[in-house]
Amino acid sequence: MEEFERTLNRQQAAIEAERCLYCYDAPCEAKCPAHVPIPEFIQSIRSGNMHGARVLLQEAHPLIETCGRICPEEEFCQSVCTRAKVDKPVRIRELHRFVTDSTDAADRLEIPVESRDCVAIVGAGPAGLACARELKLKGIRCEVFDTRSLGGVPAQEVSWNRCPREVQEREMCLLASKFIDQVHIERVTDVGPLMRDYAAVFIATGLPAESDLPIDGVGLAGVFHARELLRAVKAGAASGTGRRVGVVGGGNVAIEVASVLRQEDPTRDVTVVYRRGIKELRAFSEEIDEATRLGVTYQFLAIPDCILGETHVTGLQVTQARLCEEDESGRCRFEPLPASSYVIPLDTVVIAVGQRADEDVFHGIARSSGGLIRVGENMQTSMPGVFAGGDVVSGARTVVEAVRDGKKAAESIAAYVAGGK
Amino acid sequence: MYREHDLSYDFLGIHLENPFILSAAPPTDELDMAVDGLNAGWAGVVLKTTSVEENPVNLKYPMMSSFGTAAHKVWGLGNIDLISRYHIEEICTRVSTLKHLFPGKMIAASIMGSRKEDWQSLVWQLRKAGVDLIECSFSCPQGSMGEAPGRMLAQSVEATEKVARWVKEAADETPVLIKITPQVTDIVEVARALQRAGVDGVTASNSVPALIGVDVETMEPRPSVWGDGAYSGMTGMAIKPLTLRTIAEIARSVEITISGNGGAYSWSDAVELMAVGASNVQFCTLPMHYGFGVIRDLTSGMADYLERMGFASPRDIVGKALSHIKAQEDLSAPVTHSDIDLDKCVGCGSCFRACRDGGHRAIVWDSVKRQPSVDMDRCPGCGQCMQVCPVNAIRMREEVGQKVHYFEFRGAR
Repeated sequence: MEEFERTLNRQQAAIEAERCLYCYDAPCEAKCPAHVPIPEFIQSIRSGNMHGARVLLQEAHPLIETCGRICPEEEFCQSVCTRAKVDKPVRIRELHRFVTDSTDAADRLEIPVESRDCVAIVGAGPAGLACARELKLKGIRCEVFDTRSLGGVPAQEVSWNRCPREVQEREMCLLASKFIDQVHIERVTDVGPLMRDYAAVFIATGLPAESDLPIDGVGLAGVFHARELLRAVKAGAASGTGRRVGVVGGGNVAIEVASVLRQEDPTRDVTVVYRRGIKELRAFSEEIDEATRLGVTYQFLAIPDCILGETHVTGLQVTQARLCEEDESGRCRFEPLPASSYVIPLDTVVIAVGQRADEDVFHGIARSSGGLIRVGENMQTSMPGVFAGGDVVSGARTVVEAVRDGKKAAESIAAYVAGGK
Repeated sequence: MYREHDLSYDFLGIHLENPFILSAAPPTDELDMAVDGLNAGWAGVVLKTTSVEENPVNLKYPMMSSFGTAAHKVWGLGNIDLISRYHIEEICTRVSTLKHLFPGKMIAASIMGSRKEDWQSLVWQLRKAGVDLIECSFSCPQGSMGEAPGRMLAQSVEATEKVARWVKEAADETPVLIKITPQVTDIVEVARALQRAGVDGVTASNSVPALIGVDVETMEPRPSVWGDGAYSGMTGMAIKPLTLRTIAEIARSVEITISGNGGAYSWSDAVELMAVGASNVQFCTLPMHYGFGVIRDLTSGMADYLERMGFASPRDIVGKALSHIKAQEDLSAPVTHSDIDLDKCVGCGSCFRACRDGGHRAIVWDSVKRQPSVDMDRCPGCGQCMQVCPVNAIRMREEVGQKVHYFEFRGAR
């Protein structure tokens, strides 16, 4: 599958780099959860110092290849770009990607000599990998545990179109070979044994469980869960979905799975069924644009009532909603209109209404009411020596925010380890 | 549809429909190019420099180079070009043809020789062909054929005066301009020598001898001809400030007509050259970059400027700025400070950083509001902050009695 075309060539990058105002105490850098030194790396593009630009990015962020492609820049750096007050924001992420595409991460890389301390990292997604790398750079060894391979959500679920295989593999290879001492593919359910063998533990297991729709018919053939589907398609399997697909949800996962299903078969109808309106979609605008370009359609103001069918899905019965006042987040609330239900004829329903932490593991560690692990300011959980970060702490967030957590946790873990426990 | 402003005036007795001339350079090196330029609306051409048959012209390609940034590739243009490969006979034929096709335009030719008989023979032949004006290149920076090979004729005051006399002697009533180089110790001495020689004016000036660049990986100079390179003549926007000083220096000290040449890229650049003493302005790099059609903007920009300023003719601009050019010690001493318009400020902090590291540490940065403010006790009003402000939000403010005066940024267009 072809990658979505957003890249800048050398000339475009040079011209775009000239647009940067090189702000003092730059707001873009402050807004970036990983604190990538943006004006500085852009200045290095201007001067033709691509290796220097690479070093700046790489030092701030372990997953720059991935983030150069999928980071929602309109949420972060570009949302505060001063240049927008002159005309429009600098295309920071594309400049970032230009750097990673034109340089080699392993070039002149030096890893410090390690100490005897070893930290266990549970979950090899962005938070875990960031933590592992930061620890390694501080001279602390780390071993990583995951039920699947390295990479977490971006590696297993984000489609190849958005982040191509060779890019992800290159990044994972580098991390695995240079920064991680051992990878254990096994499910960890209890931190107790780990605490005996390792100097500290970092939990970054993300949100492995998918929320269900509390309506009738979810057991019918032809009902799928979005992330399971994304993983299967990414692994190379056929999705097994039909000709008329309804995706229930309005977040990034819903939009992504809709795009992937359209890409898999452009003659298939894919409709995102959402309770609120277009403005309330919680997906990033770039992804919505991409889905729209691929021919994904939308059924807004539709509240699912039940999935219809004998053994296999034949349709989704919904009730028409209307939008009300805004809630505290600025999105409109909705309410059902009486006697307004109708049926959308479908042969497939994909559920993409949210994800949850696995609450059956790590007993003894305090959680919030939503099942997320509670941590203090230093990312330490209620159990001394056990730290946590990423989605399992903050709920579904972005790669770069997970990276921030991993980096921050590494600081605390290093201090904890150095303090002799 | 709109009223047209008459831009015509006399220059050394020659009628110019506007002040814009195509200089002796590639744009005038083919007959059909000169025809196209004149048809587009240029007031005249100086055909590319020619010489007598014995002088071979061995061009080396690629001859052009430039420097700039990705968004502005040609800040400066360099060439290792030589004079025209067409000799005097061909140029004379073209002069006659162009005079016939464009009786109302200035048809000039540029010459370069070494011996007295060469210079004078070139002049006589051009006069016979009906040329309006003869320009003599005393300043081709690449490969001179003057008295002292490797050196520009105009770098020797004595040689300049001697050769200028030969030319003027042969030219008689035909106006003669001597094209000089800014690369001399004292440009005024050169201009005085030309005045003594009795020529009609100077073309000030020419491309500036330069090394355009070095490839840092191969150590090859630019332009590279199989690894080797030569010094270029540099033209374009980068040299306008040099040309302005050259013209101003001559105009302030010597009563001599000046044709401005070097670095003008717009009508307003032309106004600047004229304001410091040029009577007209020659262009080369601009049409070589954007084509002959730029003459439409040059003339309409100039017309609008004259209307706006209440000038009747482009002649009225000539020398208008000269009385304001003084020695630094003769300037008044304003008590001034940076004045930042926070409504315009976008909060980039460039002024703060420039003042901190290159000024007087007089700008205070509020990192919460992302706003600069000026510490009046420290700020002497140097003006560095207003150079770097990307949105021109900064001026230097002076209080004169009850009134306030602002020194504003006047850099980029």
